Amino acid sequence: MSGESAAVVGSASGDRLAVLARRALSFFLDWMVWGYVAYCVMYLLNHYWYTVHVDWWGTLTLPSWGWPLVVLATLELAVWCRSLGRSLGQRAIGVAFQDAAGGRITVGRRLGRILLWHISVPLFAVGFWRGWDPWHDRVVGVGLRPISPDPERPGRRALATQWGMVALFLGALTLWVGWLIIGINFQVLARRAAQTRRIWGEMLRPDFRYFTAPDPVFSLRALSYSILDLAVVTVFMALMATILGAVIAFPLSFLGARNVMGFSPPGWAAYGIVRGFFNVFRSIETIIWGSIFAVWVGYGTTLAGILALTVHTVAALGKLYSEQVEGVSPGPLEAVWAAGGSRVQVVRHAVIPQVLPSFWAFTLYRWDINVRMSTVIALVGGGGIGDMLFYYKNQGDWPKVGAVVIVIVAIVWAMDYISGRLRERIA
Amino acid sequence: MVWQPMANPYLVVEHLTKVYERGQVLALRDLSFAVEKGEFLVVIGLSGSGKSTLLRCINRLIEPTSGKIWLDGVDVTRLSQARMRRVRRRIGMIFQQFNLVDRSTAIGNVLTGRLGYLPGWRALLGWFPKEDREKALANLERVGLRDKAYVRVDQLSGGQRQRVGIARALMQDPEVLLADEPVSALDPATSHSIMQYLEQMNRHDGATVIASLHFLSLARRYGTRIIALKDGQLVFDGPPNAIDNAKFKEIYGEDAEEVEVR
Repeated sequence: MSGESAAVVGSASGDRLAVLARRALSFFLDWMVWGYVAYCVMYLLNHYWYTVHVDWWGTLTLPSWGWPLVVLATLELAVWCRSLGRSLGQRAIGVAFQDAAGGRITVGRRLGRILLWHISVPLFAVGFWRGWDPWHDRVVGVGLRPISPDPERPGRRALATQWGMVALFLGALTLWVGWLIIGINFQVLARRAAQTRRIWGEMLRPDFRYFTAPDPVFSLRALSYSILDLAVVTVFMALMATILGAVIAFPLSFLGARNVMGFSPPGWAAYGIVRGFFNVFRSIETIIWGSIFAVWVGYGTTLAGILALTVHTVAALGKLYSEQVEGVSPGPLEAVWAAGGSRVQVVRHAVIPQVLPSFWAFTLYRWDINVRMSTVIALVGGGGIGDMLFYYKNQGDWPKVGAVVIVIVAIVWAMDYISGRLRERIA
Repeated sequence: MVWQPMANPYLVVEHLTKVYERGQVLALRDLSFAVEKGEFLVVIGLSGSGKSTLLRCINRLIEPTSGKIWLDGVDVTRLSQARMRRVRRRIGMIFQQFNLVDRSTAIGNVLTGRLGYLPGWRALLGWFPKEDREKALANLERVGLRDKAYVRVDQLSGGQRQRVGIARALMQDPEVLLADEPVSALDPATSHSIMQYLEQMNRHDGATVIASLHFLSLARRYGTRIIALKDGQLVFDGPPNAIDNAKFKEIYGEDAEEVEVR
């Protein structure tokens, strides 16, 4: 980096608070990197103490001076990393230590900085408010400045730099600790394969006895249905939920679009409420809505399933629609406005013609999702073919489970194909 | 430039100023001029000199910060939104980027020019009266696109799209036609054909045309009067032949060269 541009940067960063924030944030990041390493080390120590050590019931506990030591050690490591090269924290903020002219600093100065830091920080002789740089930096003549890539000097390979090595180390540490934390054991896959082979064998000899004939088992629940009955119910559940959801989401989506609602206070309010509704209701999954409506309107009823699918469809489609409305080109809106059209006419004749094809595509896509969801919504009492699936599964009647699964696969595959072809035609 | 009152001005712009809120940009500074009925007024100036802002202030697509605009004796800056819409339907507008709905047909776009005359519920359903459909076809015929009426606009060329834009403006039976750089996105040959339609609307239908143009040669060829803007201020107001080389340099800057469009 040339001295000239450093001078420009120096004068531009006149805001004392920004300088302070840059320092504090990059230091905090560096400290937290080593804090994370300390956490991982403690976890690993504990883990191997617990599983390997003879004293397997004991837990490794730190002595009373242990935690202050960890804090001091991480601070120390952070300071060394910051001074000797470019640390992760500095890189994340885009700053580096440079001399007054903006050039690179020697190792001697770097070591001097570390030494002086240990004098000035414990003595609170930092002196932030007397200059741009703290006391220890001013003495060795360095400063933390934002830098941009120097086109004259190509960067070294990432792994040859400090941040690259630390990043690699952190990545490896995370994999190691992560593996231990989730505690998965792939041996089970092999050990219990025999049991599964039996189930697979039974499922692959599907029992289609009750494909069209009602299964008498369900007469206990005063119901009589066959696989085909429930397959049809499931498909129509998905279809009705999609249509209902789209019909409700369509008008709402214009209320949730910034460019249609304008910038008046009522416009802001409507936008905020509708968008908030979309976000909250979308973040609650269909399965959770299913369990709510199952309690509300009856466990195992189709209505619960349809309501659950509809609510989530309204929120998900509404958000997708709104984003499409916000993405329309403003030209036609301006043209209708200029021809004396009202706000409603602008929506009807400039916005809707632009968004309708993508609305159709999203609706078909949602239908696709709803068909897949409707096969499992019975898990929480939403009705449909899943009702049968989970009943047979709980009975351990695997040939019948196989038959239901095959029907579900056929439905999902067919719907996928149809909606895919229709979307192709629209786009 | 001192503004002198006219005998019977049709459109009067008085001390028009527009400040954009963000960044305190002065788009128009104390602009005053008048236009007589039936004039073909050309607005010239560099990009960013305020041409588009001026045109959009006249039909209040952009709200002026201060100043008055009198159209046929009515101060349009003080009208309510509902009254303004009734005024707007008599002001046709043609845009640089055509502003057509690409996924709609040519006739669908042309019919939107009629929206200001349509009662609310009919417009909502998109039921245009038979007369409007016939009028739309007649206007497409007039711009030579009768055979493209049911073609989607994204299938048309730039010149054809602008002609659809002209047909849409014709649907309004406009008394004033605002053309915001109508030929900037077109090649020179097509530019002349579009400008000739504007000229025809001016001479034949008696519409007062206010067009902003980039090329001085087009302005000289079609305008009955030229005004020039520089940094939002009026720097010239007069007949086309009054712009000499010195005036040209004043409007476009010292380094500018005049480019001829044939």
